Amino acid sequence: MPIFKTSFMRRFAVSTMVLGALAGYQTSAFAGAGHSGGHGGDGASEIGAPGEISDVRRTIRIAMEDNFYDKEKIIVRGGETVRFIVENKGEFVHEFNIGTAAMHADHQDEMMMMMEHGALEIDKINMDMMEMDMGNGMSMKHDDPNSVLLEPGKTAEVIWTFPKKAELEFACNVPGHYESGMVGNVRLQ
Amino acid sequence: MKIKFAGRAILGALAAIGVSFTANAATYDLSVDYVTIDTGGMQTKGIGYNGASPGPTLRLKEGEDAVIKVTNNLDEATSIHWHGLILPYQMDGVPGISFPGIEPGETFTYRIPVKQSGTYWFHSHSGFQEPDGAYGSIIIESEKREPFKFDREYVVVLKDKHPHSGARIMRNLKMMPDYYNRNQRTFGDFISDVSKNGLGTTLSERGDWGSMRMMRTDIEDVQGFVGLINGKSPEQNWTGLFKPGERVRLRFINASAMTYFDVRIPGLDMTVVQADGNNVQPVKVDEFRISVAETYDVIVQPKDDKAYGIMAESTGRSGYAFATLAPKEGMRADIPERRMESPLLTMADMGMSHGNMDGMDHGAMSDTDPGIMAGMDHSNMAGMDHSKMGTTKTDPFYAAGSGLAPEAANGGKFLSYADLKAQKPLYPERPATREIELRLTGNMERYTWSINGVKYEDAEPIRLKYGERVRFKFVNETMMSHPMHLHGMWSILDTGQGKWNPVKHTININPGTTVYSETEVDEPGQWAFHCHLSYHMAAGMFRKVIVEGGPAVAALENGNL
Amino acid sequence: MKIIKLIALSGGVLATVLSFSLSAKADNHVFYGLQMEQFEYRAGDESEKLFVWDGDAFVGTDELKLRWQGEGERDLDADINESLENRLVLQTPISDFFDAKAGVRLDTPKGTDRWYGTVGVMGLAPQWFEVDADLFVSEAGDGSARLDVEYEGLITNRLIVTPSVELNAAFSEDREVAVGAGLSSVELGLRLSYDLIDRSVAPYIGVAYERKLGDTADFAKDEGEDYVASFVVVGVRLLF
Repeated sequence: MPIFKTSFMRRFAVSTMVLGALAGYQTSAFAGAGHSGGHGGDGASEIGAPGEISDVRRTIRIAMEDNFYDKEKIIVRGGETVRFIVENKGEFVHEFNIGTAAMHADHQDEMMMMMEHGALEIDKINMDMMEMDMGNGMSMKHDDPNSVLLEPGKTAEVIWTFPKKAELEFACNVPGHYESGMVGNVRLQ
Repeated sequence: MKIKFAGRAILGALAAIGVSFTANAATYDLSVDYVTIDTGGMQTKGIGYNGASPGPTLRLKEGEDAVIKVTNNLDEATSIHWHGLILPYQMDGVPGISFPGIEPGETFTYRIPVKQSGTYWFHSHSGFQEPDGAYGSIIIESEKREPFKFDREYVVVLKDKHPHSGARIMRNLKMMPDYYNRNQRTFGDFISDVSKNGLGTTLSERGDWGSMRMMRTDIEDVQGFVGLINGKSPEQNWTGLFKPGERVRLRFINASAMTYFDVRIPGLDMTVVQADGNNVQPVKVDEFRISVAETYDVIVQPKDDKAYGIMAESTGRSGYAFATLAPKEGMRADIPERRMESPLLTMADMGMSHGNMDGMDHGAMSDTDPGIMAGMDHSNMAGMDHSKMGTTKTDPFYAAGSGLAPEAANGGKFLSYADLKAQKPLYPERPATREIELRLTGNMERYTWSINGVKYEDAEPIRLKYGERVRFKFVNETMMSHPMHLHGMWSILDTGQGKWNPVKHTININPGTTVYSETEVDEPGQWAFHCHLSYHMAAGMFRKVIVEGGPAVAALENGNL
Repeated sequence: MKIIKLIALSGGVLATVLSFSLSAKADNHVFYGLQMEQFEYRAGDESEKLFVWDGDAFVGTDELKLRWQGEGERDLDADINESLENRLVLQTPISDFFDAKAGVRLDTPKGTDRWYGTVGVMGLAPQWFEVDADLFVSEAGDGSARLDVEYEGLITNRLIVTPSVELNAAFSEDREVAVGAGLSSVELGLRLSYDLIDRSVAPYIGVAYERKLGDTADFAKDEGEDYVASFVVVGVRLLF
C-alpha cells in the first residue's frame, strides 16, 4: 500500500512538472502556484505519503502557539502511520508541514508570496484569493496532504505515513516563523 | 511539614489580601567611575560603570523588584536613566525632572518594579557622560515563553567613540557647525558633477543649496569616531561564538551619541523578532538601520563552520563598527568592502518635494493591503518577476526621493518601519483624545536645535492628562534625522496597521517627513521627551512632559519610597 | 597713554567675561571660542617685513555673545604698529544667518589714537560668503564703514583656498589719522591652508594686496609712505 502511494505521488509530481513546463512557467518565478501540485519531484517520495485512517495506531496532538509548537520533536517508527490533530491556539495563522529542510525553504518563498498578494494575512486566510485562477489552471490553494494551514482557533487532522528513513522536520512556513524557531525534528526509529 | 504548610497558607492569605513581600527583590550594584577607554588606536579618558566602558549587562527578571544601588565615584554629579523601562518617574534618572541627580560620593538606590521584558540599555543623563562612555545594556528575561527560540544570545552594543570629549565636541560645533564634517563637497566633486551633468545643471544645483545655506553632506554632525561593538573597535574584533546550525539571538543596541548604523551580516539572513524591547512579528531582512537609542533583536542561524562578520556602517559612511561571529575563538571574518560613497541629501529631505507624507494614510501604502492586489490581473502574473516585488517598494518613512533612503548592500531586503508589526498589541485600539504637533526645528549654521522653534530652556512643559491617549505629530523641518525618545511611556508608532502598530520607545523621524505616534498616558509624574542625538538634546531639542492627575505618586527621598 | 587705554579695554573684556560666566555657571549653555583668521608673516614687494593678525574671540549664549575683534599690522623693521585696532561688541541674532552687533573700537597705532562707536552685522550670506559689515563713528565725529567678505573653497576636505576682500570707506575726512572721504582702502587676499590638527591648527601660504584709494592714497604719498603694497604671506589659522 505505501509503495503504491509513493509511486502515485511521484507520478503526480512529475506530471505537474511536465504540465508546468508545457505552460512555460518557471518554478522559481511561480513557486506559489505549485501548491496544488505538491512540492516537486524529489521530496514527495522521501517524506512519506498521506495515510489511511485504518492504518493509524497512534494519534499525536500538536498545539501551535505564537510562534512555536508545544513539541520540540516527534518520535515515530519508520513506516508508521500517524494521525496528527493540530490545533492553532495562537492569534496568528500557523502551519503544520512535514517535509525536508529544503522543501520548507522553498515553501517559505511561496508563503511569502501568498502574503504579499494578500491571500494570506497574519491572522486570516483569504480562501477566495487562494482559489483564484492564476492562469495555467493553477491557484495559490494550500491543500498539500503533508500540511495544514490554520487560522487562529482552528483544528485539523493530518494522517501521514512516514518513510523508513528520512531527515524530516515539521515546520510552520508562515513568513518569519520558521526562522524564529517554529520548527521541530521528526525522529524516525 | 506542618509548619511549612502553615507558612504557605499564611503567605497565600497575605498575597490574597494584596500584601507583597520583598522576597522577589534582586539587588544590583553599580559604581560610576572614571575609566580609560582603549580602542587600540587611541586611549581616552572617559566614564564607565564598575570600572569599565561599556558597563555591564544587567540581567533583570520580569516580575521582580530590582534594587539597583548606584555609587558615584566621580567628582561631578551623575545619573542613570534606564532607557525604555516603564517605572515610577522618580526612578527614571533625569536630573532636574525625575530627581536632583547623584552627587559625588553619594549612593542612590533605584527601586524598579520590573513589568516588561526584552532588550534595553542604561546611560547617564548628566552632561556629556553618555558620549564619554557611561552606558551599559539591560536584558530582562520574560516570565512567559518568548515567541521565538534560540540556542545562545549576545548583546551587540554599538557606539561611536570619539577622541574628543563630549563637552569639547559641543563647543566646537557651536563655534563651527561643520567642524567635524569631512565629507563636504569639494572642487573635485564639482568638476566631476560638471562632466556628468554639465556646467549649467551643476551650477544651478550648487546655487540652490548655496542660497539655502544648507549642505547636502550634512548627515553626520560628528565624524571622526571609531565604531565600537561591545567596546571593541574593528581591529580589536569582538567575537561571539556559535556552533554551526545554532540559532543565535543578537540583541542590537545603538548606544551612540550621534551615529545611525546600517547593520548586516554577509551570508546570513537576519530575522528581526524584537524592536525597542517589544516583540514584533518576525521579519526576515538582509540589512537594517538602527537609529540612535533604538534596539533590535534578530535571530540568525549560521550553518557553516566559518566566521561571519557583523558589519555596521554609519549612515553617512564616515565610519563603521565590525565584529565577528565564529565557531572558534581567534577567528576573524573578512571585513566586507565598505560603501564609501556617502549619501547626499536631496531637496526631498528639505521637505521641498510634493510627495510629502503629511496627511498621507500609511495604510494605503501597506504592501499587505489586499485592496491593491484585488485590482490586479492575475492571469498575467506568470510573467511577473516576483522576486523583485519586495525590494522595489520605496520606504514610506523617507521623503519621496530622499537621499537617505537605504538600500541593502546585497540588493536584498532592507528593514523599514513599515515592516514592524507588534507581535502582541500592548494596548487595545482606540481613537486618540487629541493631537499634539511637534515640529522638529533647528538651524544648522548656528547649531541650535529646538521643538516648534523653542529651545528647552525657553519652553513650557507639555501637559498630558492621565488616562488620555495622545497622538503626537512629528514634522521634521530640519535636514537631519532625529530619534525622538519619550521617557516613561510607550510610543505606538503609526505605520497604518491598526492594532499591529509597533510599540517603541524611540521613534526616528527622517528629514522632510511627518510621522505619527500615539501614547497611552498611563504613568503619572514628569518625564523627559527629547531627540536622542546627544548634541541636539543638549542644544535644546528637548521637552519636559508633565502627566497631570492619576494615582498619587509617593514623594522621593534619596530613592527610598 | 595707549597702554592705559588698552588696559581699560581689556579690563572691560575681563569684567564682562567674568560676569557672563558667573551668571551662567549652573548651565552649560555658555560657550566660548578663539579664532585667528590671519596670523602671519608678510614679505612685501619692496622687502617690507610685517607681522599681521586678524582674529576674534567670543563668550556667550545663542542669544547674546560678547565678541572681541582685533587686527593689526606690525612693521618688523621699524618696530612700530602700522595699525592696531581692538573692538568689543555685543552680538545677538537678527535672522537665521545674521547677527547684529554693537560696541566700541579703539585704534592705538603709531600716531593718533581713536575711539569709535560701532554697529554692524555679521553672518553667512547666500552661496556661503562670510560677511562682516560695520559702521563706525569716531570720537571726532567722523563716520566710516567696512565690509569684510570671505569664502572658503574646498580643494579637498582639508586643503582649503580662501579668497578675501576688505573694503574701507569714510563719510568724511579725518586728516589726523590720514583718512580721506570716500573709498579709502582695499585689501585682497588669497590663502591656501591645510587643516593639520582638526580645525585648530591650519598652516597656510598666500598672497595679499593692499591699496589706499582717493584722498587717503594722496595723504600717504604726502607722508612719503607707500599707498600700494603686495605681499607673500606665511601663517597659521588657529581655532580654539
